[in-house]
Amino acid sequence: MAILEVLMPLFVGAPILVGGALLAVPRHHRIRQVFGMGSLIAMLVGAMLLVAATADGTVLAHQVALWPGGIAIPFVADTFSSLVLTVTAILATVCFQYMIASGEARSPSIASLVLILAGGVAGALLTADLFNLFVFIEVMLLPSYGLLVILSRRGEMGGARLYVTVNLLASTLFLAGVGLIYAVQGTVNLAELAGAGDDPATAVATAVCLSAIAVKAAVFPVHGWLARTYTATSPAVTALFSGLHTKVAIYIIYRIYSVVFEGEATWLIIILVITSLSMVVGVMGAMGESTMRSVLVFHMVSQIGYILIGVGLFTQLGLTAGIFYLLHHMIVKASLFLSTGAIEQTYGTGQLDQLGGLRTREPLITVAFAVAALSLAGLPPFSGFVAKFSLILASIEAGAVAVGVVAVVVSLFTLLSMLKIWASVFNGKRSADVERYAAEGRVRERENLLDDEHVDERIVADEAALAIEHNEPPRGATTTEDDPHGHRGTRIPFALALPSLILAAITVSLGLGAEFLLGLSAQAAAGLLDTAAYVSAVLGR
Amino acid sequence: MSLAISIALLVGAGVYLVLQRGMIRIILGFILLTHGVNLLIIAAGGVARREAPFFGGDTSGAADALPQAFVLTAIVIAFAITVVLATFAAVGRRDDDTEPSSRVDARLGGAQPRRGSR
Amino acid sequence: MSLVAILASTLAVVAVTMVATRLIGRNAGWLAAAGLGTLAAIVATRVPEVLVGSSAVREVVPWIPTLDVALRLRLDGLSALFLIIVLGIGALVMAYSARYLSDRTVHQHTGYFAWMLLFAFAMTGLVLADDLVLLFVFWELTTLCSFFLINRSGRRASAPAVRTLLITGFGGLMLLFAVALIVARTGTTVLSEALIDPVWQSDAGFTAVIAVLVALAAMTKSAQFPFHMWLPDAMVAPTPVSAYLHAAAMVKAGIYLLMLFSPALGGTVVWQSVLVSTGLITALMGAVFALRRFDLKEIMAYSTVSQLGLIVALIGIGTPSALATAALYTLAHALFKASLFMMVGIVDQQAGTRDIRLLRSLWRRMPVTFVTTLLAGLSMAGVFPLLGFISKEYLLGQTLEPGGPVWLGALLTATVVIGAIATFAYTGRILLGGFTDYRGTERADGDLDTHRMPETVREADPLFVASALAPALAGLALGPAIVVLHPLMSAAGSAAAGQPYAASFALFGGFTIELALSVTIIALGLVAIGQRRRLDRALERRVLPFTAIDVVERLRTGAITAGARVGDVTRTDAQSIHLGAPWILLGLLAVVAIVVSPTAGDLIEVGEPWTDALLLALLVVTIGPAVVVRSRLTALILVGGAGFVVALWFFALGAVDVGLTQLLVELLTVVALVLILRRLPPRFHRVSRGRTVVTAVIAVSAGTAALLATLAFTGRREISEVGQYFLDEALTDTGGTNIVNTILVDYRALDTFGELTVVAIAGIVIMGVLGTRRLLDERTDNSAPGPTATILRSVGNTLPIRVVARWAAPVIIVLSAYLLLRGHYEPGGGFIAALVGGTGFALAYLGAATDRGALARWPYRGLLASGVVVAVVTGIGGYLAGSFLRPVRFDIALPWGGELPFTSALIFDLGVYLAVVAIVIALLNELGGVREHHGELPQKHRVDRSKVDDRRVDAPKESV
Repeated sequence: MAILEVLMPLFVGAPILVGGALLAVPRHHRIRQVFGMGSLIAMLVGAMLLVAATADGTVLAHQVALWPGGIAIPFVADTFSSLVLTVTAILATVCFQYMIASGEARSPSIASLVLILAGGVAGALLTADLFNLFVFIEVMLLPSYGLLVILSRRGEMGGARLYVTVNLLASTLFLAGVGLIYAVQGTVNLAELAGAGDDPATAVATAVCLSAIAVKAAVFPVHGWLARTYTATSPAVTALFSGLHTKVAIYIIYRIYSVVFEGEATWLIIILVITSLSMVVGVMGAMGESTMRSVLVFHMVSQIGYILIGVGLFTQLGLTAGIFYLLHHMIVKASLFLSTGAIEQTYGTGQLDQLGGLRTREPLITVAFAVAALSLAGLPPFSGFVAKFSLILASIEAGAVAVGVVAVVVSLFTLLSMLKIWASVFNGKRSADVERYAAEGRVRERENLLDDEHVDERIVADEAALAIEHNEPPRGATTTEDDPHGHRGTRIPFALALPSLILAAITVSLGLGAEFLLGLSAQAAAGLLDTAAYVSAVLGR
Repeated sequence: MSLAISIALLVGAGVYLVLQRGMIRIILGFILLTHGVNLLIIAAGGVARREAPFFGGDTSGAADALPQAFVLTAIVIAFAITVVLATFAAVGRRDDDTEPSSRVDARLGGAQPRRGSR
Repeated sequence: MSLVAILASTLAVVAVTMVATRLIGRNAGWLAAAGLGTLAAIVATRVPEVLVGSSAVREVVPWIPTLDVALRLRLDGLSALFLIIVLGIGALVMAYSARYLSDRTVHQHTGYFAWMLLFAFAMTGLVLADDLVLLFVFWELTTLCSFFLINRSGRRASAPAVRTLLITGFGGLMLLFAVALIVARTGTTVLSEALIDPVWQSDAGFTAVIAVLVALAAMTKSAQFPFHMWLPDAMVAPTPVSAYLHAAAMVKAGIYLLMLFSPALGGTVVWQSVLVSTGLITALMGAVFALRRFDLKEIMAYSTVSQLGLIVALIGIGTPSALATAALYTLAHALFKASLFMMVGIVDQQAGTRDIRLLRSLWRRMPVTFVTTLLAGLSMAGVFPLLGFISKEYLLGQTLEPGGPVWLGALLTATVVIGAIATFAYTGRILLGGFTDYRGTERADGDLDTHRMPETVREADPLFVASALAPALAGLALGPAIVVLHPLMSAAGSAAAGQPYAASFALFGGFTIELALSVTIIALGLVAIGQRRRLDRALERRVLPFTAIDVVERLRTGAITAGARVGDVTRTDAQSIHLGAPWILLGLLAVVAIVVSPTAGDLIEVGEPWTDALLLALLVVTIGPAVVVRSRLTALILVGGAGFVVALWFFALGAVDVGLTQLLVELLTVVALVLILRRLPPRFHRVSRGRTVVTAVIAVSAGTAALLATLAFTGRREISEVGQYFLDEALTDTGGTNIVNTILVDYRALDTFGELTVVAIAGIVIMGVLGTRRLLDERTDNSAPGPTATILRSVGNTLPIRVVARWAAPVIIVLSAYLLLRGHYEPGGGFIAALVGGTGFALAYLGAATDRGALARWPYRGLLASGVVVAVVTGIGGYLAGSFLRPVRFDIALPWGGELPFTSALIFDLGVYLAVVAIVIALLNELGGVREHHGELPQKHRVDRSKVDDRRVDAPKESV
């Protein structure tokens, strides 16, 4: 344990070191990919070690640079943070693999940006110092700005600008909150603030921080920016962000509320109202969207509502369910973004009404999407079911039956919106010019054109013809009226489908083997219900 | 009191500009907002003691150094983000406008045409 | 064979068959049939164990202990009955499929068998489950199998599949909610325990709620009014699917659920009224609709709906005998309906159509088929001596005394009788329409003449017919031999009733009212058949202007449109919307805060020097105009001015380093923004007056909140412990005298580390953006007055600066190095040093005659990287002293004697220095127009702006 404690800062240091070093080799993308992948996997292994070490409820803590407790910046890992860290590491790895497969990882800075983003996430999850948390949130955000813009094919910058300004506003508010907390308490050390929520002044100051984080978590009513910005970039980036940014924000909400307020019951009702509204508004918005990704992004709002029910109930079962839901959602959502992303990038469009007939044409992606979508809708035997059921059960047992009802109703709408994608993209007729969209996408990719730049129709036509000529139909495929080209033409490469399949496999195993993660989540929940161990470990006294 | 009012001024003006139209105004707004927050943090350390925190002589009158360190860090981070924002403002298709130009755009939400729901 | 083993082996059958399909194609069906058949037989051997009273076999395998969910399996009379139906019919359908499927396109068959057998597995699990959650899991699994089986049958199947999933999915959620409520209330997930919990008696309200939820779940699954429409809808699926899922097995899941919960819910008013009413309504409606259809399969579908209605009504009555009758009826229906569906499939394949308007005189060409259909049909019509006859007899017996007032019995009986007559009539319609020349009303919807029935129709392959004949014969045999069913029916009845019950069905129960009614039914039924043409015409006109499907569709699209409305609110890139939203939250918070009106201890009174007021005044004069001017450059200069005032504030408050940093940062920010401004219009965009007002209100309240917060929270405590610690210990801890700097590079070096990473990445981001996108063009032609122009017409105007820069640059570099070294002790340090250095470069840049002439053309990408690397390496070096970023201190012996105290914090500070200098250079080069050649992606194939601007208005397409 001891050695693990001392090495915790390396979760931040190592990725940033490699990331920084890789900046110096802009010409060799092989090297960047190998080292990038290597360090991400190393990070994953390390995170798993942390889980193993904290699975029994022990809390690892380290005063960085060995200054006395309360003076130094404490790094601390308990079951909760270790679990979240592990899943973020999984997502970072898988998404990076997707970027390699899609060729996005070739541009000079991508590997570094991903690594430094991962480092920032680790810092935000492990630190127990509010100002340091602010710093690491920024370390997460800066690379994100880069990824967002560099991997976007958009000409107009609306989405990117909005993403930066909204996050800047949230960060500034958070900083102000930290300032107020210091003004009142004379410390920004989370452990020293334990239970300080009883003092109204501190409560208000902390509430400022929480509202700022709520903006980052995109809960209602500050959810609008999400659907505008996450769709403005490459699918891989969307997947990465959905897994890392909003979820880290949720982690912080769980952490701060449990430590500072110790689950103070007075405010729980507010949280429950907000979460319920988020669930409803999110799913409604999702149903109305018209591209695969915007449907999925709007869903995040709804799902974030689900996750926050846990903290809103603040019972053992409630927190357990919330944490389980959080981890499950990170994986499933990323899987959906990556499978639909593979479609988007291969077929050149994400518009529901420009796609169709992929069920018979892309079996792998179909499986990946179906599994993840059903899991998202909370159907058995996938992890989503365990998550949803335990949440509903928890709300009923906590007497919040209304919340349970909302959760049930919303999941029907979730199913409906997933079916909307299913019916138009996987069933349905393949539109005649689908090959043209795909070809145009490839041409833009090759010529490196933004989506508002002119592309020569003739080149596109040739490209399309080429694809139809060269791609053989899959075994057993028969020409149908649904498929103008008899299954010839564009097809998603396996490497691009693999990431979403991996994550889909995880959600299946988390459904059938739910006990494994649910047990850990229960341990994490216990750590949030009784923060004594956490506090004493952080203070080092 | 003057300090409190200054903070209020900076925050108010910052918010006003942030909610305006066009990236540059928003950036300027954020600059002012950040100033306000930074001053607030310094104030959080208490302004009763105003001597610079250096050794040599007695430090009984020296100000709390921690908020100063915070602000120093915050200033530089804010600077980094500001220049990124400035760059974003200077690329793109139009100028730094942050609102849909036409009513059509406004309804469609600019980047994403909404097709018939199915 | 243990229950777990049975369940597992159904799963094994799936795998085996899937592999087999790859090898022997459709004939894998035989294998599956054999598998399911054997399992059915094995179950039959276990039946005796559960026949006495309401005994049962139980097994438990743990699954999710945390939720107390386990693989609890239970075999009692009820589950035995349904298990035999599921596996038996399953085996027959599999055998049937082996001939029904085409022998050419193998590749689709794998999926077909997989889903069908997976469904068999799900049903097995459902009827064996003794765990509420497990029950739900298998319940949903059957829904999914049904969805995918429908969905995979062609493009026309998409919409029906979606509708089916939505309706049954809704039912599933009702069940889920019921399960959650029960578990929360009874505290157990064990089904059999929960069902005997005292709460059912003690809390009528709770029982009623559960009754409704369970009833809804079952009604969706068993296609009861008003959820009936999915079943006919689902007929797009291949016939074996319909035969198995939509006749024999899946729709029976609802029946099973109702009978399962009868011990707990039976007898309550809600339960009875809901089930009996919906059941009978459905029975009538289904029968009538069946009389209006021409497609044999659709007739079958509606007949199924109707028959299920009768069973539901029976369960609603809920007496032990009624439940036993329901069990018998379920079995009878499974037999004849499965057979009938398979016959339809055969007719369809041989004759090439299922439309009774096209089929003619098949009875001569397909005698076996005809006889089979006849047997099954008569059983359905309730004709002596088939099994269907007995079940109908006893059904009538139940409706005659349902308990309660007499009129009720009369009403129920009357309804059932009418339904039965209709049933008889449409049975005739099937037989005559399908096998003789009867063609219903020749209502020409769709051109019938396009696909006439081929002239050469032959009897089907005996193997094909056999699987359909079997259940029909069973129906015939079991009529007279009804006694053999008594044990099973008793067991099922007692399990469902929750009390011991001995069934005693008889083929001939003497001359009773039931018999009389049966005779009447048959008589009137024959009349109806005789008058079929008139009847058809009478029923032809539509009852309602819309179909149930329309309703579902309208609900679905309605929800989607509503969603679009909700989304519209935020579907915009207008920043004011999204940057305004947070103030809603904060506003609420502020209100709460003002109500609570907290203060952090008592205010410490301090006289404030007159300078404060002066600084405030300075701020007012800079900020005031800054928010109103419309010239961008003026606004920038004013804001810059405000920045300098803030710097003065810092000095006044004893924050020397902060003040210096603020000054330098302000300078650089202004320079950077000036570089941007020359690419933007000279004046700000206009905004409406109304909006300005709103904005102003928000701004003022935000300012007020800030004011109150500052007054209420700050200056109300002595210096913090931490602050005091630094004042006392910093020197001894770090050897530095500049406490702020020691915090930055020693105590909280991690913050600084994160911060320099941020700075470095900012540089990378800027390079990345400008590598993929071009800056807006410079607006040399703009009519902006004064300052802008001087910057643009740089050559002439920058002479003085250039002169200064020439000698200033080296001085500044040296100065910055000095600041870096002394940072630990005096004001200075990495940031300030680097910023000073950076300012030097800025000066040099401004001094350059032209952009190209600027001297700062350094490999700043490498510099940025090196800054980060140096910092991390120093940090890792800290492990020499025991921890990350732990400063390592030692003294360097100087050659001329004496020692120089050294700390690794200095190297760390060097990292900071490098990063900050690098970003300043990067900034000037990137934005200033001087570009070292890098490029995120190769630059090529750009179009001139005009083209783009032309297409500006039409919305660009989704990024791909």
